[in-house]
Amino acid sequence: MTPPLIQFGLETEIGIARDTEGEVDVVAESIALVRSATQPGVWMCWDYESEDPHADMRGFRVQELRQDADEANYFAQDAQRELSQAEIKSDLVLGNGARFYNDHAHPEYCTPECSTLAELLAHDRAGEHILMACAKELSEQSRTTVRLYKNNTDFCGHSYGCHENYLLPRSLPWEYLAQAMQAFLVTRQVFAGAGKFALEAEDRFVAAGFQIAQRSDFFSELQSVDTMQRRPIINTRDEPHANPSLYRRFHVILGDANMSPFATRLKVGTTALVLEALVRDPKRKYPRLAHPLAALPAVSRDQTFRWELRLQDDVPSTALEVQWAYLKAVKDLCHLDHPEQAELVTDWETVLADLAADYRRCRDRLDWTAKLALVREFQAAQKIPDEHPWLQSLDLEYHRLDASEGLYYGLEQSGAMRHVPDETASLQAVQHPPASTRAYVRGKCVQKFAGAILSAQWDHITLQGSDGPIKLSLLDLFAPEEILHYAAVVDAARTPDDLKALANVPS
Amino acid sequence: MPDQAQKTRPTAPSPGGGGEGPVSPKVDKPNVEELLKRMRKVDPDQAKRYRQRTGQ
Repeated sequence: MTPPLIQFGLETEIGIARDTEGEVDVVAESIALVRSATQPGVWMCWDYESEDPHADMRGFRVQELRQDADEANYFAQDAQRELSQAEIKSDLVLGNGARFYNDHAHPEYCTPECSTLAELLAHDRAGEHILMACAKELSEQSRTTVRLYKNNTDFCGHSYGCHENYLLPRSLPWEYLAQAMQAFLVTRQVFAGAGKFALEAEDRFVAAGFQIAQRSDFFSELQSVDTMQRRPIINTRDEPHANPSLYRRFHVILGDANMSPFATRLKVGTTALVLEALVRDPKRKYPRLAHPLAALPAVSRDQTFRWELRLQDDVPSTALEVQWAYLKAVKDLCHLDHPEQAELVTDWETVLADLAADYRRCRDRLDWTAKLALVREFQAAQKIPDEHPWLQSLDLEYHRLDASEGLYYGLEQSGAMRHVPDETASLQAVQHPPASTRAYVRGKCVQKFAGAILSAQWDHITLQGSDGPIKLSLLDLFAPEEILHYAAVVDAARTPDDLKALANVPS
Repeated sequence: MPDQAQKTRPTAPSPGGGGEGPVSPKVDKPNVEELLKRMRKVDPDQAKRYRQRTGQ
Protein backbone atom coordinates (compact mmCIF):
# COMPACT_ATOMS: atom_id res chain seq x y z
CA MET A 1 0.00 0.00 0.00
CA THR A 2 1.68 3.24 -1.12
CA PRO A 3 1.30 6.33 1.03
CA PRO A 4 -0.83 9.10 -0.47
CA LEU A 5 1.23 11.26 -2.82
CA ILE A 6 0.11 14.63 -1.52
CA GLN A 7 0.43 16.05 1.98
CA PHE A 8 -1.97 18.69 3.23
CA GLY A 9 -2.93 20.99 6.06
CA LEU A 10 -5.52 23.60 6.99
CA GLU A 11 -5.17 27.12 8.37
CA THR A 12 -8.39 28.45 9.83
CA GLU A 13 -9.09 32.03 10.90
CA ILE A 14 -11.69 32.20 13.63
CA GLY A 15 -14.29 34.88 14.30
CA ILE A 16 -14.34 36.23 17.85
CA ALA A 17 -16.91 38.14 19.93
CA ARG A 18 -17.60 38.84 23.56
CA ASP A 19 -20.88 39.27 25.46
CA THR A 20 -20.33 42.84 26.50
CA GLU A 21 -21.81 46.27 26.04
CA GLY A 22 -20.27 48.41 23.33
CA GLU A 23 -17.83 47.67 20.58
CA VAL A 24 -15.40 44.78 20.85
CA ASP A 25 -11.75 45.33 19.97
CA VAL A 26 -11.33 42.14 17.98
CA VAL A 27 -7.56 42.51 17.78
CA ALA A 28 -7.22 42.74 21.56
CA GLU A 29 -9.62 39.82 21.96
CA SER A 30 -7.70 37.72 19.46
CA ILE A 31 -4.38 38.42 21.19
CA ALA A 32 -5.90 37.66 24.59
CA LEU A 33 -7.42 34.44 23.33
CA VAL A 34 -4.17 33.07 21.94
CA ARG A 35 -2.32 34.11 25.09
CA SER A 36 -4.82 32.22 27.22
CA ALA A 37 -3.72 28.92 25.67
CA THR A 38 -2.87 26.36 28.29
CA GLN A 39 -1.41 23.75 25.96
CA PRO A 40 2.35 23.32 26.27
CA GLY A 41 4.17 25.05 23.46
CA VAL A 42 6.87 27.47 22.47
CA TRP A 43 5.96 31.14 22.42
CA MET A 44 7.05 33.88 20.06
CA CYS A 45 9.81 32.07 18.23
CA TRP A 46 8.23 31.94 14.77
CA ASP A 47 10.82 32.76 12.13
CA TYR A 48 9.26 35.40 9.86
CA GLU A 49 12.57 36.05 8.10
CA SER A 50 12.06 33.19 5.68
CA GLU A 51 8.52 34.16 4.64
CA ASP A 52 7.85 36.05 1.43
CA PRO A 53 4.17 36.50 0.54
CA HIS A 54 5.18 38.63 -2.47
CA ALA A 55 6.73 35.70 -4.38
CA ASP A 56 4.50 34.66 -7.29
CA MET A 57 4.22 31.18 -8.83
CA ARG A 58 4.28 32.76 -12.27
CA GLY A 59 7.96 33.47 -11.84
CA PHE A 60 8.13 37.00 -10.49
CA ARG A 61 7.90 38.91 -7.25
CA VAL A 62 5.13 41.49 -6.91
CA GLN A 63 6.11 44.95 -5.68
CA GLU A 64 3.23 45.12 -3.25
CA LEU A 65 0.11 43.30 -2.18
CA ARG A 66 -3.23 45.10 -2.30
CA GLN A 67 -3.40 44.69 1.45
CA ASP A 68 -0.02 46.32 2.12
CA ALA A 69 -1.55 49.76 2.75
CA ASP A 70 -4.11 48.32 5.17
CA GLU A 71 -1.39 46.31 6.86
CA ALA A 72 0.69 49.46 7.33
CA ASN A 73 -2.33 51.15 8.94
CA TYR A 74 -2.93 48.20 11.23
CA PHE A 75 0.76 48.15 12.08
CA ALA A 76 0.54 51.82 13.11
CA GLN A 77 -2.59 51.13 15.21
CA ASP A 78 -0.97 48.11 16.80
CA ALA A 79 2.06 50.20 17.72
CA GLN A 80 -0.23 52.00 20.23
CA ARG A 81 -1.01 48.79 22.08
CA GLU A 82 2.00 48.77 24.36
CA LEU A 83 2.82 45.30 23.14
CA SER A 84 5.72 44.32 20.92
CA GLN A 85 4.94 42.96 17.45
CA ALA A 86 5.97 39.53 18.71
CA GLU A 87 3.52 39.85 21.61
CA ILE A 88 0.77 40.98 19.25
CA LYS A 89 1.34 37.98 17.01
CA SER A 90 1.79 35.73 20.06
CA ASP A 91 2.94 32.84 17.90
CA LEU A 92 2.63 29.53 19.63
CA VAL A 93 4.11 26.32 18.26
CA LEU A 94 2.36 23.43 19.92
CA GLY A 95 3.50 19.98 20.92
CA ASN A 96 1.18 18.49 18.30
CA GLY A 97 3.12 20.28 15.56
CA ALA A 98 0.43 22.93 14.98
CA ARG A 99 0.82 26.69 14.86
CA PHE A 100 -1.62 28.92 16.75
CA TYR A 101 -1.37 32.72 16.62
CA ASN A 102 -3.09 36.05 16.15
CA ASP A 103 -3.24 36.73 12.42
CA HIS A 104 -4.05 40.48 12.44
CA ALA A 105 -7.49 40.28 13.99
CA HIS A 106 -8.32 36.61 14.07
CA PRO A 107 -7.04 33.71 16.10
CA GLU A 108 -5.65 31.32 13.51
CA TYR A 109 -5.14 27.60 14.02
CA CYS A 110 -2.88 25.86 11.51
CA THR A 111 -2.93 22.09 11.62
CA PRO A 112 0.35 20.26 11.35
CA GLU A 113 1.15 18.71 7.99
CA CYS A 114 -0.87 15.51 7.50
CA SER A 115 -0.53 12.68 5.01
CA THR A 116 -3.89 11.00 5.61
CA LEU A 117 -7.40 12.36 5.86
CA ALA A 118 -7.86 10.62 9.20
CA GLU A 119 -4.92 12.61 10.56
CA LEU A 120 -6.29 15.83 9.13
CA LEU A 121 -9.77 15.36 10.60
CA ALA A 122 -8.30 14.53 13.99
CA HIS A 123 -6.10 17.63 13.93
CA ASP A 124 -8.81 19.93 12.60
CA ARG A 125 -11.06 18.85 15.45
CA ALA A 126 -8.12 19.04 17.88
CA GLY A 127 -7.87 22.70 16.88
CA GLU A 128 -11.52 23.17 17.84
CA HIS A 129 -10.81 21.61 21.25
CA ILE A 130 -7.82 23.90 21.79
CA LEU A 131 -9.78 26.99 20.75
CA MET A 132 -12.71 26.06 23.00
CA ALA A 133 -10.34 25.59 25.93
CA CYS A 134 -8.90 29.06 25.28
CA ALA A 135 -12.39 30.60 25.14
CA LYS A 136 -13.32 28.92 28.41
CA GLU A 137 -10.14 30.13 30.08
CA LEU A 138 -10.53 33.70 28.82
CA SER A 139 -14.24 33.78 29.71
CA GLU A 140 -13.45 32.70 33.26
CA GLN A 141 -10.63 35.22 33.58
CA SER A 142 -12.78 38.11 32.38
CA ARG A 143 -16.16 36.89 33.66
CA THR A 144 -17.81 37.54 30.33
CA THR A 145 -18.50 34.97 27.66
CA VAL A 146 -16.05 34.87 24.77
CA ARG A 147 -17.65 33.44 21.65
CA LEU A 148 -15.71 31.80 18.82
CA TYR A 149 -17.06 31.07 15.36
CA LYS A 150 -15.51 28.75 12.79
CA ASN A 151 -17.07 30.53 9.83
CA ASN A 152 -15.98 32.98 7.15
CA THR A 153 -17.99 36.18 7.38
CA ASP A 154 -19.64 38.78 9.60
CA PHE A 155 -22.43 39.21 6.97
CA CYS A 156 -21.18 42.74 6.28
CA GLY A 157 -18.49 41.94 3.75
CA HIS A 158 -15.68 41.17 6.17
CA SER A 159 -14.50 37.72 5.23
CA TYR A 160 -11.76 35.60 6.74
CA GLY A 161 -10.40 32.36 5.46
CA CYS A 162 -9.95 28.68 5.89
CA HIS A 163 -6.98 28.05 3.63
CA GLU A 164 -5.88 24.67 2.39
CA ASN A 165 -2.31 23.73 1.59
CA TYR A 166 -1.24 20.92 -0.69
CA LEU A 167 2.40 19.98 -1.18
CA LEU A 168 3.14 19.07 -4.78
CA PRO A 169 6.17 18.24 -6.89
CA ARG A 170 7.56 21.36 -8.54
CA SER A 171 7.78 19.42 -11.78
CA LEU A 172 4.05 19.98 -12.32
CA PRO A 173 4.02 23.14 -14.47
CA TRP A 174 2.13 26.01 -12.87
CA GLU A 175 0.17 26.84 -16.02
CA TYR A 176 -1.33 23.34 -16.17
CA LEU A 177 -2.08 23.38 -12.46
CA ALA A 178 -3.73 26.81 -12.48
CA GLN A 179 -5.83 26.05 -15.55
CA ALA A 180 -6.93 22.56 -14.54
CA MET A 181 -7.92 23.44 -10.97
CA GLN A 182 -10.10 26.43 -11.81
CA ALA A 183 -13.31 24.61 -12.77
CA PHE A 184 -12.82 22.08 -9.99
CA LEU A 185 -12.53 24.73 -7.30
CA VAL A 186 -15.47 26.75 -8.61
CA THR A 187 -17.76 23.72 -8.65
CA ARG A 188 -16.70 21.79 -5.54
CA GLN A 189 -18.72 24.23 -3.43
CA VAL A 190 -21.76 22.05 -4.17
CA PHE A 191 -20.44 19.72 -1.47
CA ALA A 192 -17.80 21.85 0.30
CA GLY A 193 -19.89 24.98 0.90
CA ALA A 194 -20.83 25.76 4.49
CA GLY A 195 -24.02 27.64 3.54
CA LYS A 196 -24.85 31.27 4.27
CA PHE A 197 -28.02 33.24 4.93
CA ALA A 198 -26.81 36.43 3.26
CA LEU A 199 -25.65 37.81 -0.04
CA GLU A 200 -22.58 40.02 0.32
CA ALA A 201 -20.07 42.04 -1.63
CA GLU A 202 -16.42 42.52 -0.71
CA ASP A 203 -17.27 45.42 1.59
CA ARG A 204 -20.95 45.20 2.50
CA PHE A 205 -24.15 43.27 3.13
CA VAL A 206 -26.18 43.14 -0.07
CA ALA A 207 -29.40 41.29 0.65
CA ALA A 208 -31.01 38.51 2.63
CA GLY A 209 -31.13 35.09 1.02
CA PHE A 210 -29.53 31.69 1.16
CA GLN A 211 -26.49 30.52 -0.77
CA ILE A 212 -24.51 27.31 -0.51
CA ALA A 213 -21.07 28.83 0.20
CA GLN A 214 -19.78 31.48 2.61
CA ARG A 215 -16.77 32.63 0.58
CA SER A 216 -18.10 32.77 -2.99
CA ASP A 217 -19.09 36.43 -2.72
CA PHE A 218 -15.48 37.50 -2.24
CA PHE A 219 -13.52 36.57 -5.38
CA SER A 220 -12.86 38.94 -8.24
CA GLU A 221 -9.63 37.79 -9.93
CA LEU A 222 -8.71 34.59 -11.75
CA GLN A 223 -5.13 34.48 -10.45
CA SER A 224 -3.10 36.67 -8.13
CA VAL A 225 -0.90 36.60 -5.09
CA ASP A 226 -3.40 38.58 -2.98
CA THR A 227 -5.45 37.09 -0.19
CA MET A 228 -7.32 39.97 1.49
CA GLN A 229 -8.62 42.21 -1.28
CA ARG A 230 -9.72 41.35 -4.81
CA ARG A 231 -9.09 37.73 -3.92
CA PRO A 232 -8.28 35.29 -6.72
CA ILE A 233 -9.80 31.89 -7.47
CA ILE A 234 -6.23 30.63 -7.92
CA ASN A 235 -3.77 32.04 -5.41
CA THR A 236 -0.28 32.34 -6.86
CA ARG A 237 1.67 32.80 -3.62
CA ASP A 238 4.94 30.92 -4.01
CA GLU A 239 5.99 29.91 -0.53
CA PRO A 240 6.58 26.18 -0.64
CA HIS A 241 7.84 25.86 2.95
CA ALA A 242 9.92 23.08 1.43
CA ASN A 243 12.84 22.75 -0.96
CA PRO A 244 11.77 25.24 -3.66
CA SER A 245 13.57 23.41 -6.42
CA LEU A 246 11.55 20.24 -5.76
CA TYR A 247 8.21 21.34 -4.34
CA ARG A 248 5.43 23.84 -4.62
CA ARG A 249 2.63 24.49 -2.16
CA PHE A 250 -0.79 24.94 -3.74
CA HIS A 251 -2.47 27.47 -1.48
CA VAL A 252 -6.27 27.30 -1.85
CA ILE A 253 -8.02 30.33 -0.38
CA LEU A 254 -11.57 30.11 -1.69
CA GLY A 255 -12.89 27.30 0.50
CA ASP A 256 -15.25 27.62 3.45
CA ALA A 257 -14.47 26.56 7.00
CA ASN A 258 -16.43 23.36 7.48
CA MET A 259 -17.97 22.21 10.72
CA SER A 260 -18.87 18.82 9.27
CA PRO A 261 -15.82 16.54 9.24
CA PHE A 262 -17.38 14.67 6.31
CA ALA A 263 -17.38 17.93 4.32
CA THR A 264 -13.80 18.73 5.35
CA ARG A 265 -12.75 15.24 4.31
CA LEU A 266 -14.51 15.50 0.95
CA LYS A 267 -13.16 19.01 0.30
CA VAL A 268 -9.53 18.22 1.05
CA GLY A 269 -9.58 14.62 -0.12
CA THR A 270 -11.07 15.27 -3.55
CA THR A 271 -8.80 18.28 -4.08
CA ALA A 272 -5.75 16.18 -3.23
CA LEU A 273 -6.90 13.43 -5.59
CA VAL A 274 -7.50 15.84 -8.46
CA LEU A 275 -4.01 17.26 -7.86
CA GLU A 276 -2.62 13.73 -7.89
CA ALA A 277 -4.37 13.04 -11.20
CA LEU A 278 -2.84 16.22 -12.55
CA VAL A 279 0.63 15.20 -11.40
CA ARG A 280 0.20 11.85 -13.13
CA ASP A 281 -1.02 13.39 -16.39
CA PRO A 282 -0.63 17.18 -16.57
CA LYS A 283 -1.81 17.32 -20.17
CA ARG A 284 -5.20 15.69 -19.72
CA LYS A 285 -8.08 17.93 -20.78
CA TYR A 286 -10.24 19.13 -17.91
CA PRO A 287 -13.46 21.16 -18.14
CA ARG A 288 -12.91 24.87 -18.72
CA LEU A 289 -15.52 27.34 -17.59
CA ALA A 290 -16.60 30.12 -19.92
CA HIS A 291 -16.94 32.61 -17.05
CA PRO A 292 -15.31 31.31 -13.87
CA LEU A 293 -15.60 34.51 -11.85
CA ALA A 294 -19.29 34.84 -12.63
CA ALA A 295 -19.93 31.13 -12.15
CA LEU A 296 -18.56 31.11 -8.60
CA PRO A 297 -21.30 33.29 -7.02
CA ALA A 298 -23.90 32.16 -9.56
CA VAL A 299 -23.51 28.52 -8.51
CA SER A 300 -23.49 29.49 -4.86
CA ARG A 301 -26.67 31.57 -5.17
CA ASP A 302 -28.64 29.28 -7.50
CA GLN A 303 -31.96 28.65 -5.76
CA THR A 304 -32.84 25.82 -8.15
CA PHE A 305 -29.85 23.77 -6.96
CA ARG A 306 -29.34 22.63 -10.55
CA TRP A 307 -26.15 24.75 -10.76
CA GLU A 308 -26.20 25.30 -14.50
CA LEU A 309 -23.19 27.02 -16.04
CA ARG A 310 -21.41 27.44 -19.34
CA LEU A 311 -18.20 25.78 -20.41
CA GLN A 312 -15.85 27.20 -23.01
CA ASP A 313 -17.44 27.70 -26.44
CA ASP A 314 -20.71 28.35 -24.63
CA VAL A 315 -21.39 24.66 -24.02
CA PRO A 316 -24.14 24.25 -21.40
CA SER A 317 -23.26 22.12 -18.40
CA THR A 318 -23.73 21.94 -14.63
CA ALA A 319 -21.46 22.02 -11.61
CA LEU A 320 -22.29 18.37 -11.02
CA GLU A 321 -21.29 17.36 -14.55
CA VAL A 322 -18.01 19.19 -14.10
CA GLN A 323 -17.42 17.30 -10.87
CA TRP A 324 -18.20 13.99 -12.58
CA ALA A 325 -15.52 14.81 -15.17
CA TYR A 326 -12.92 15.34 -12.45
CA LEU A 327 -14.04 12.21 -10.66
CA LYS A 328 -13.54 10.23 -13.87
CA ALA A 329 -10.01 11.63 -14.23
CA VAL A 330 -9.24 10.56 -10.66
CA LYS A 331 -10.51 7.05 -11.35
CA ASP A 332 -8.53 6.86 -14.58
CA LEU A 333 -5.25 8.14 -13.21
CA CYS A 334 -4.87 7.83 -9.44
CA HIS A 335 -3.62 4.78 -7.59
CA LEU A 336 -6.55 4.34 -5.26
CA ASP A 337 -4.94 1.56 -3.29
CA HIS A 338 -5.00 3.37 0.04
CA PRO A 339 -8.30 2.37 1.71
CA GLU A 340 -9.23 5.90 2.69
CA GLN A 341 -8.86 7.09 -0.91
CA ALA A 342 -11.07 4.30 -2.25
CA GLU A 343 -13.69 5.08 0.38
CA LEU A 344 -13.45 8.76 -0.40
CA VAL A 345 -14.11 8.20 -4.10
CA THR A 346 -17.20 6.16 -3.24
CA ASP A 347 -18.45 8.96 -0.98
CA TRP A 348 -17.72 11.56 -3.65
CA GLU A 349 -19.77 9.59 -6.19
CA THR A 350 -22.62 9.10 -3.77
CA VAL A 351 -22.77 12.75 -2.79
CA LEU A 352 -22.84 13.89 -6.42
CA ALA A 353 -25.63 11.44 -7.17
CA ASP A 354 -27.52 12.46 -4.03
CA LEU A 355 -27.23 16.16 -4.86
CA ALA A 356 -28.59 15.46 -8.31
CA ALA A 357 -31.50 13.45 -6.96
CA ASP A 358 -32.41 15.72 -4.02
CA TYR A 359 -29.98 17.87 -2.05
CA ARG A 360 -31.88 17.07 1.16
CA ARG A 361 -30.43 13.56 1.02
CA CYS A 362 -27.13 15.13 2.06
CA ARG A 363 -28.37 16.84 5.20
CA ASP A 364 -26.62 14.18 7.28
CA ARG A 365 -23.19 14.91 5.78
CA LEU A 366 -22.76 18.36 4.23
CA ASP A 367 -22.77 21.67 6.06
CA TRP A 368 -24.91 23.69 3.70
CA THR A 369 -27.63 21.08 3.45
CA ALA A 370 -27.63 20.43 7.22
CA LYS A 371 -27.77 24.15 7.99
CA LEU A 372 -30.46 24.88 5.41
CA ALA A 373 -32.69 22.02 6.56
CA LEU A 374 -32.33 22.93 10.23
CA VAL A 375 -32.88 26.65 9.83
CA ARG A 376 -35.84 26.17 7.46
CA GLU A 377 -37.44 23.84 10.01
CA PHE A 378 -37.03 26.44 12.72
CA GLN A 379 -38.13 29.23 10.40
CA ALA A 380 -41.35 27.37 9.56
CA ALA A 381 -42.08 26.61 13.22
CA GLN A 382 -41.47 30.21 14.29
CA LYS A 383 -42.94 31.79 11.14
CA ILE A 384 -39.84 33.88 10.54
CA PRO A 385 -39.77 35.80 7.25
CA ASP A 386 -36.84 35.27 4.87
CA GLU A 387 -35.50 38.77 5.44
CA HIS A 388 -35.35 38.50 9.22
CA PRO A 389 -31.84 38.96 10.72
CA TRP A 390 -32.56 36.07 13.09
CA LEU A 391 -31.60 33.76 10.21
CA GLN A 392 -28.10 35.22 10.16
CA SER A 393 -27.88 34.87 13.94
CA LEU A 394 -28.82 31.19 13.61
CA ASP A 395 -26.33 30.82 10.76
CA LEU A 396 -23.64 32.26 13.02
CA GLU A 397 -24.63 29.96 15.84
CA TYR A 398 -24.26 26.93 13.55
CA HIS A 399 -20.52 27.70 13.57
CA ARG A 400 -20.18 28.43 17.29
CA LEU A 401 -17.26 26.60 18.88
CA ASP A 402 -19.09 25.59 22.01
CA ALA A 403 -20.23 22.01 22.41
CA SER A 404 -23.25 22.94 24.52
CA GLU A 405 -24.39 25.94 22.45
CA GLY A 406 -23.20 25.52 18.86
CA LEU A 407 -25.88 24.30 16.47
CA TYR A 408 -23.61 22.07 14.40
CA TYR A 409 -22.49 20.29 17.55
CA GLY A 410 -26.17 20.01 18.47
CA LEU A 411 -26.80 18.18 15.20
CA GLU A 412 -23.98 15.79 15.98
CA GLN A 413 -25.33 15.22 19.48
CA SER A 414 -28.80 14.49 18.15
CA GLY A 415 -27.37 11.81 15.85
CA ALA A 416 -28.22 13.76 12.73
CA MET A 417 -24.72 13.75 11.24
CA ARG A 418 -22.74 10.86 9.77
CA HIS A 419 -18.97 10.41 9.85
CA VAL A 420 -18.53 12.09 13.20
CA PRO A 421 -14.86 11.55 13.96
CA ASP A 422 -13.56 9.36 16.71
CA GLU A 423 -13.23 11.69 19.67
CA THR A 424 -10.34 9.62 21.01
CA ALA A 425 -8.30 10.43 17.92
CA SER A 426 -9.01 14.16 18.08
CA LEU A 427 -8.26 14.34 21.80
CA GLN A 428 -5.01 12.51 21.18
CA ALA A 429 -4.24 14.97 18.37
CA VAL A 430 -4.44 17.84 20.87
CA GLN A 431 -1.23 16.48 22.40
CA HIS A 432 0.49 14.49 19.67
CA PRO A 433 1.73 15.27 16.16
CA PRO A 434 0.97 13.06 13.15
CA ALA A 435 3.58 10.31 13.03
CA SER A 436 3.70 10.23 9.25
CA THR A 437 5.02 13.72 8.45
CA ARG A 438 7.82 16.09 9.41
CA ALA A 439 5.40 17.65 11.92
CA TYR A 440 6.42 14.78 14.18
CA VAL A 441 9.93 16.25 14.49
CA ARG A 442 8.58 19.73 15.24
CA GLY A 443 6.04 18.48 17.76
CA LYS A 444 8.45 16.19 19.57
CA CYS A 445 11.10 18.92 19.78
CA VAL A 446 8.47 21.18 21.36
CA GLN A 447 7.45 18.44 23.78
CA LYS A 448 10.99 17.52 24.80
CA PHE A 449 13.10 20.65 24.38
CA ALA A 450 10.75 23.64 24.48
CA GLY A 451 13.18 25.72 26.52
CA ALA A 452 15.95 25.23 23.99
CA ILE A 453 14.01 26.20 20.87
CA LEU A 454 15.34 29.42 19.38
CA SER A 455 13.16 29.59 16.28
CA ALA A 456 10.68 27.53 14.33
CA GLN A 457 9.11 27.52 10.88
CA TRP A 458 7.30 24.89 8.84
CA ASP A 459 10.57 23.91 7.19
CA HIS A 460 13.09 24.22 10.01
CA ILE A 461 13.58 24.35 13.71
CA THR A 462 16.60 25.72 15.56
CA LEU A 463 17.57 24.69 19.06
CA GLN A 464 20.26 25.89 21.43
CA GLY A 465 22.96 23.25 21.79
CA SER A 466 25.78 23.24 24.31
CA ASP A 467 28.18 24.78 21.83
CA GLY A 468 25.87 26.78 19.60
CA PRO A 469 22.60 26.66 17.67
CA ILE A 470 21.51 23.39 16.06
CA LYS A 471 19.37 23.94 12.99
CA LEU A 472 17.27 21.02 11.79
CA SER A 473 16.24 21.53 8.20
CA LEU A 474 12.88 19.96 7.37
CA LEU A 475 12.94 21.26 3.79
CA ASP A 476 13.20 17.80 2.25
CA LEU A 477 11.73 15.65 4.96
CA PHE A 478 8.85 13.92 3.18
CA ALA A 479 9.98 10.36 2.42
CA PRO A 480 8.37 7.97 4.94
CA GLU A 481 11.61 6.10 5.69
CA GLU A 482 13.46 9.36 6.36
CA ILE A 483 10.69 10.58 8.66
CA LEU A 484 10.98 7.31 10.57
CA HIS A 485 14.73 7.86 10.93
CA TYR A 486 14.28 11.44 12.19
CA ALA A 487 11.54 10.30 14.55
CA ALA A 488 13.77 7.59 16.03
CA VAL A 489 16.57 10.09 16.65
CA VAL A 490 14.24 12.66 18.22
CA ASP A 491 12.54 10.01 20.36
CA ALA A 492 15.90 8.78 21.65
CA ALA A 493 17.40 12.22 22.22
CA ARG A 494 17.94 13.24 25.83
CA THR A 495 19.37 16.69 25.09
CA PRO A 496 19.31 18.97 22.01
CA ASP A 497 22.92 17.96 21.40
CA ASP A 498 21.67 14.49 20.56
CA LEU A 499 19.96 16.02 17.51
CA LYS A 500 23.23 17.14 15.97
CA ALA A 501 23.32 14.04 13.79
CA LEU A 502 20.18 15.29 12.04
CA ALA A 503 21.58 18.78 11.65
CA ASN A 504 24.51 17.29 9.73
CA VAL A 505 22.27 15.51 7.21
CA PRO A 506 22.66 17.42 3.94
CA SER A 507 19.38 18.71 2.56
CA MET B 1 -25.24 6.50 14.90
CA PRO B 2 -24.51 3.02 13.48
CA ASP B 3 -28.16 2.66 12.51
CA GLN B 4 -28.09 5.99 10.78
CA ALA B 5 -24.88 5.07 8.96
CA GLN B 6 -26.32 1.74 7.81
CA LYS B 7 -29.50 3.33 6.62
CA THR B 8 -27.58 5.76 4.43
CA ARG B 9 -25.24 3.32 2.70
CA PRO B 10 -25.56 3.58 -1.09
CA THR B 11 -28.02 0.96 -2.22
CA ALA B 12 -29.31 1.61 -5.68
CA PRO B 13 -28.26 3.05 -9.01
CA SER B 14 -29.05 6.68 -9.57
CA PRO B 15 -32.50 7.25 -11.02
CA GLY B 16 -31.09 9.85 -13.34
CA GLY B 17 -29.41 12.66 -11.43
CA GLY B 18 -26.23 12.56 -13.48
CA GLY B 19 -26.86 8.85 -13.94
CA GLU B 20 -23.35 7.98 -12.87
CA GLY B 21 -23.44 6.69 -9.35
CA PRO B 22 -25.44 5.20 -6.53
CA VAL B 23 -27.67 7.40 -4.41
CA SER B 24 -28.37 7.17 -0.72
CA PRO B 25 -31.86 6.39 0.46
CA LYS B 26 -33.81 9.38 1.67
CA VAL B 27 -32.54 10.59 5.00
CA ASP B 28 -35.04 10.23 7.79
CA LYS B 29 -35.80 13.56 9.37
CA PRO B 30 -33.66 13.66 12.49
CA ASN B 31 -35.18 14.42 15.83
CA VAL B 32 -34.02 17.95 16.47
CA GLU B 33 -36.64 18.97 19.05
CA GLU B 34 -33.98 19.71 21.66
CA LEU B 35 -31.96 21.63 19.13
CA LEU B 36 -34.97 23.74 18.16
CA LYS B 37 -35.23 24.71 21.82
CA ARG B 38 -31.56 25.71 21.74
CA MET B 39 -32.28 27.77 18.63
CA ARG B 40 -35.10 29.65 20.34
CA LYS B 41 -32.53 30.95 22.82
CA VAL B 42 -30.35 32.48 20.10
CA ASP B 43 -30.57 36.26 20.24
CA PRO B 44 -32.19 37.29 16.94
CA ASP B 45 -29.95 40.36 16.81
CA GLN B 46 -26.62 38.77 17.62
CA ALA B 47 -25.45 38.78 14.00
CA LYS B 48 -26.13 42.53 13.82
CA ARG B 49 -23.59 43.08 16.59
CA TYR B 50 -21.08 40.62 15.18
CA ARG B 51 -18.46 42.69 13.40
CA GLN B 52 -15.05 41.42 12.34
CA ARG B 53 -12.08 42.76 10.48
CA THR B 54 -11.39 41.42 7.02
CA GLY B 55 -8.93 38.57 7.19
CA GLN B 56 -7.26 36.51 4.56
